[in-house]
Formats: sequence, structure tokens, C-alpha cells
Amino acid sequence: MTVDLTVDLGGLKLRNPVMPASGCFGFGREYSEYYSLDTLGAVVVKATTLKPRLGNPTPRVTEVTGGMLNAIGLANPGLSKVLTEELPWLERQNVPIFVNVAGDTVEDYCSVVDEVCRSGLAQAIELNVSCPNVELGGLAFGVNSSVLRGLVEEVRKVCTLPLYVKLSPNVTRIQDLAVAAASGGADGLSLINTLVGMQIDLATRKPALANKTGGLSGPAIKPVAVRMVYEVAREVNLPIVGMGGICSGRDVAEFIMAGAWAVEVGTANFTDPYACPRIVAELKSFMEAEGIKNLEEIRGCAL
Amino acid sequence: MLVKESKQLTRDVFALTLEGQFDYDKVTAGRFVHVLIEDGKAHPLRRPISIASCDSHAKTLTLVYRVVGDGTLWLSKRIRGDTVSLLGPLGKGFVAPHKPGKVLIVGGGVGVPPLFQLAKELVQENFELDIVLGFRSQGDVFWTEEFAQFGRVTVCTEDGSLGEKGFVTAVIDVTNDWTTLYSCGPKAMLKALRNHFAGSTIQGYVSLEERMACGVGACWGCTCLDPSGSLAKRICKEGPVFSWEEVSL
Ligand SMILES: Cc1cc2nc3c(=O)[nH]c(=O)nc-3n(C[C@H](O)[C@H](O)[C@H](O)COP(=O)(O)OP(=O)(O)OC[C@H]3O[C@@H](n4cnc5c(N)ncnc54)[C@H](O)[C@@H]3O)c2cc1C
Ligand SMILES: Cc1cc2nc3c(=O)[nH]c(=O)nc-3n(C[C@H](O)[C@H](O)[C@H](O)COP(=O)(O)O)c2cc1C
Ligand code: FES
Repeated sequence: MTVDLTVDLGGLKLRNPVMPASGCFGFGREYSEYYSLDTLGAVVVKATTLKPRLGNPTPRVTEVTGGMLNAIGLANPGLSKVLTEELPWLERQNVPIFVNVAGDTVEDYCSVVDEVCRSGLAQAIELNVSCPNVELGGLAFGVNSSVLRGLVEEVRKVCTLPLYVKLSPNVTRIQDLAVAAASGGADGLSLINTLVGMQIDLATRKPALANKTGGLSGPAIKPVAVRMVYEVAREVNLPIVGMGGICSGRDVAEFIMAGAWAVEVGTANFTDPYACPRIVAELKSFMEAEGIKNLEEIRGCAL
Repeated sequence: MLVKESKQLTRDVFALTLEGQFDYDKVTAGRFVHVLIEDGKAHPLRRPISIASCDSHAKTLTLVYRVVGDGTLWLSKRIRGDTVSLLGPLGKGFVAPHKPGKVLIVGGGVGVPPLFQLAKELVQENFELDIVLGFRSQGDVFWTEEFAQFGRVTVCTEDGSLGEKGFVTAVIDVTNDWTTLYSCGPKAMLKALRNHFAGSTIQGYVSLEERMACGVGACWGCTCLDPSGSLAKRICKEGPVFSWEEVSL
């Protein structure tokens, strides 16, 4: 049986639903030494901000059971270098590019989105309104419905590419934020970003991360992510990119059944540098074994 | 790779020799491997461990590590025939001296292992080596005889239970005519060494440690700063070895 892995995200066609998650794949160069990036559905690049950012002091990553905490703090080379040095290279790898955008102010977001769209180097924007690490670095936008809607409306005015809003799980009712992003003009939603966590180092008796708190990711958060994708899919009729702890093709199938159209893979790249292509192959075998011809057949079937 | 031998060197330091398929040609002293703990399910992050010794003819690789937590504890329980998954070699290793002459090698604690492969490589290129190895106490000392085949070895312990008493800087005479210094160990030691040689023309290299996630340069978890504090460098990619004027210690 031949299975069809392609996804049509409102006109943006992906060869398969698997893309590396923002912040876990740089701008693609490092993992391109392990496999060809054209095996991926798309690449979501590191959060890009107007000015270069060094991020938080180290230690800024640590392991917890079944996951990790990070407080990278949006370290990135800044818009101008991303446009001149990173995206032109990535564009040659023959894979759709989602540019993850972060900022401190509405103006920052709009300037970055505007320039990325004008550059012609990206296929979609993913608005990071949920990074829990930098003071004002997104959290204020992602946890309040009217603030989020206001931001999305402004960005929408300058955004000529498909606009995905990446939701924070650190809220009481994620579907309310999803509705706000949709009414602000989002073309799709991606979820979830990391959950705020903390680890205490027993030797120093202080938080293990210099930033004290960090974002929890990895297999430990998968049930939370699946639940949130399910809740959002029931209330909002937009393409959903699901993520949180995905490590295998079966995990992808679970997200699709909960209502996701495509998925992102983050922390699993660190455990296995070949995680993304392996997950694509596993998903294909799963579908073959289950007699599933295409993803639409199972999308949202659990709802 | 397959475990060939696991040997306990001190109460908490082990040497693990692995054999089998590996990119041996790409090994240079100072590079590291990223070690998967079990199947990665409970431990999604690999552990960075320096290559202590590599024999590309025998196709073996040796890692020397201290048991400090779950990952290294699991590693210490591997026996002959077990499989351990490694990623690597990763990072940038030590650069050969720019001019002929005498070289100083300084190791502290589990910073000593990568300097073994370095000493081996430098002796093959006919450099003359002085080697200073610092440990906490007599019970922590390992591999000093192994190093003796490569040069003059001075051992110091903080409590004086073996060799000279005190820190490594106490036994290093800055007026000596070394061209190059290579060092790996606690940051306090690296800093003390750089201060010790302030004003000297010696070319210093240090190997740094930081918590890592990807190990390949993609996550920006492991950065350090240049002396001006305005430029970040990834320890897993641009390092772990840096010339000591490139980084703030
Ligand atoms: C480039 C490099 C080379 C290294 N080479 C050696 C070596 O040759 N021999 C040796 O004994 N040790 C070495 N280390 C330190 C070694 O990585 C840690 O001791 C080890 O990761 C601890 O793992 P654990 O699970 O036992 O400890 P845990 O404390 O349970 O580990 C929890 C998390 O913290 C990280 N971590 C803890 N301590 C360190 C540390 N000192 N540096 C970086 N990450 C840490 C672990 O990788 C893991 O992600 C090296 C570190 C780096 C960065
Ligand atoms: C080291 C690291 C850096 C991250 N950086 C970003 C980022 O820059 N922008 C963003 O939107 N999300 C970022 N994330 C969140 C991931 O994209 C993803 O939402 C989250 O890790 C959950 O997926 P996972 O469990 O598969 O890792 C980062 C996550 C990690 C672990
Ligand atoms: S550990 Fe990811 S960049 Fe160094």
C-alpha cells in the first residue's frame, strides 16, 4: 500500500507533517551534516528578534526526568544577520521555512515580520508569544486574550505570509487564547511552547538554572500537549501544528488524531540527531500497518 | 559501540574502553563524544565526555569520567559486550604549538583525561613536555604513570597526601621557556593559571565545560562570552578548546 504523507496547510504544501521545532534546530546548518533537510516537511528556525541577543547567563539547560528545562532567553544573531547569512543558505536546502519571530514590543514584532515577508526567503511566520524566559519577551502577549488579539491584528497588517501563532501552555484555558489569535487574523496555530518549571541543585541548594526558572520540554509534557491540541481543535477551525514531547511516529499519529495537521519535534533532536527523518519513516510504517492512506483520514478522529 | 573494558581507577573515576565503528580519523585531542544514557527515554540529554585516548589501528576509544550523577553511574555499570551509543567526535580540539620548543600541560581532576590523548599526539610530533597534574587527595590520583611515558610529570594534591602540596600554580615557574600551555580542569584553576602567566608570551589554551543539550551547535545552550562580553561562542561547536584570550573565564 502506498501512503500519502503530504499536508496542505491552507495552500502551503508540505511533503510530510514533520518539522523540527524552533530553538532546537538553529537555522538548520548543524543537522544538515547528519541528513539532507529536504526530507523534512519544513524547518522552523530559531526565534528571530530585531536586534542580536546573547540570551540568559549559563547554566541555561538542564535535564529532568523525561525532559529538560531551558532558559536560553532568545539568543539569536538578530534580524539582519538572519536575513543575510542564515535564510539564504537554508533556502537552498529545498525545504519550506517557518520563521519564528519574537519581540519586546508590538513594533518589534511588526518590523521583523515585515522584513522577513519582504525578503521572500520564508514560506510562513510563526509568532512566538509564549517564550517564558525573557522579561517581557513574549509572555505578556501570550497569556492575555485581548493583548494577544491586539498583537496578532497589528502583525496581520504587515504579514503577507501564512501567520501561525504559537501558543503558551502557561494559561488557564488555552482555547480562549486560540480564539483570540484566530479573531486577530491568524492563519494557523502552533502549540505548545514550554511549561514553566524549576529544578533545585541539591549540592548548591539553589535553582540549577542561572535564570532560576526554565521551560520544560520533552516526553514529560506530551500528555499536556495532546490535551491542549485536542481542546483547541474542538473550538477553533484553523490548521494546528502540534508539538510537545514527540519522539516517534506513533507520537505523531497521536497528535494528528487529537486534531493536529502537522507537528514539530524539539527535544528529541538532542537525544537522537536523526530523530526527524526517523520519525517520518516510523509514521509511514505505522500508516502502512494500520491501512491509513493519508493523514486526513485520521486527523481529529479522537475529537 | 561495544564495551571492551571498564576499569575503576579511583573510588569514583572509571575508564571505559569501547571498540567498533567510529569516525576515528576525525579524532583529535580535546574533542568529545556525546553519550546516550540507556535508551534516552528517562534521560533525553546525552552526556559530553572528552576522548581520553583513541587507537585508530586497534579501533578503540577510551573515556575517563567521574561518577557524579545518574548518567555517569549508569555508564560505570556497563560491562564487556554492552552497547553504548556515542555521537561524535564533536567540537574543536587542541591546536598544535605554533613554534617548536617546550610545552606545558596542566590538568586538574577529571580535566586530566583529554590531556592524555594530547600528550600522545604532541610526543609523536617531537615536542618536549612538562606535565603538571593536580588532584584533591591521594585517593583521587590516576594515570600519573601513564603520563610519565610522555614527559616529566609533577603531581600535586590539595592536601599534600601525594606529591607537592597545594594548587598546580604553586609548582609552575613562570620564568620557564615553555612556548605553549594546554590546560583542562576546574574554571578556577584555568583562571588562576592565566593570572599566573599574566605578562608572559606563552600561548595558552583552555578546555571549557558547560551544560549541553544538542552538543552540535544547534540549541545555543552551552555558550560562553568573549572578554568584551558582547560575543557568544558555543562551547560544543567553537570549543571546548579556546585560546585563553578568546574567552572570559
Ligand atoms: C566538553 C566536555 C567534556 C567533558 N569531559 C569529561 C571527562 O572527560 N570526564 C568527566 O568525568 N567529565 C567530563 N565532563 C563533565 C561531564 O559531562 C559530566 O560530569 C556529566 O555530564 C555528568 O552526568 P551525570 O548524569 O552523571 O550527572 P548529573 O548531574 O545527573 O547530570 C545532569 C545534567 O547535567 C549535566 N552536567 C552535570 N555536570 C556537568 C558538567 N560538569 N559539565 C557539563 N554538563 C554537566 C549532565 O550532562 C546532565 O545533562 C565533560 C563536560 C564537557 C562539557
Ligand atoms: C533549547 C530550546 C530552545 C527553544 N527555543 C524556542 C524559540 O526560540 N522559540 C520558540 O517558539 N520555541 C522555542 N522552544 C520551544 C520548542 O520549540 C517547543 O515548543 C517545545 O520544546 C516543546 O516541544 P518538544 O517537547 O518536542 O521539545 C525551545 C525549546 C528548547 C528545548
Ligand atoms: S549544546 Fe547545543 S549549542 Fe552547544
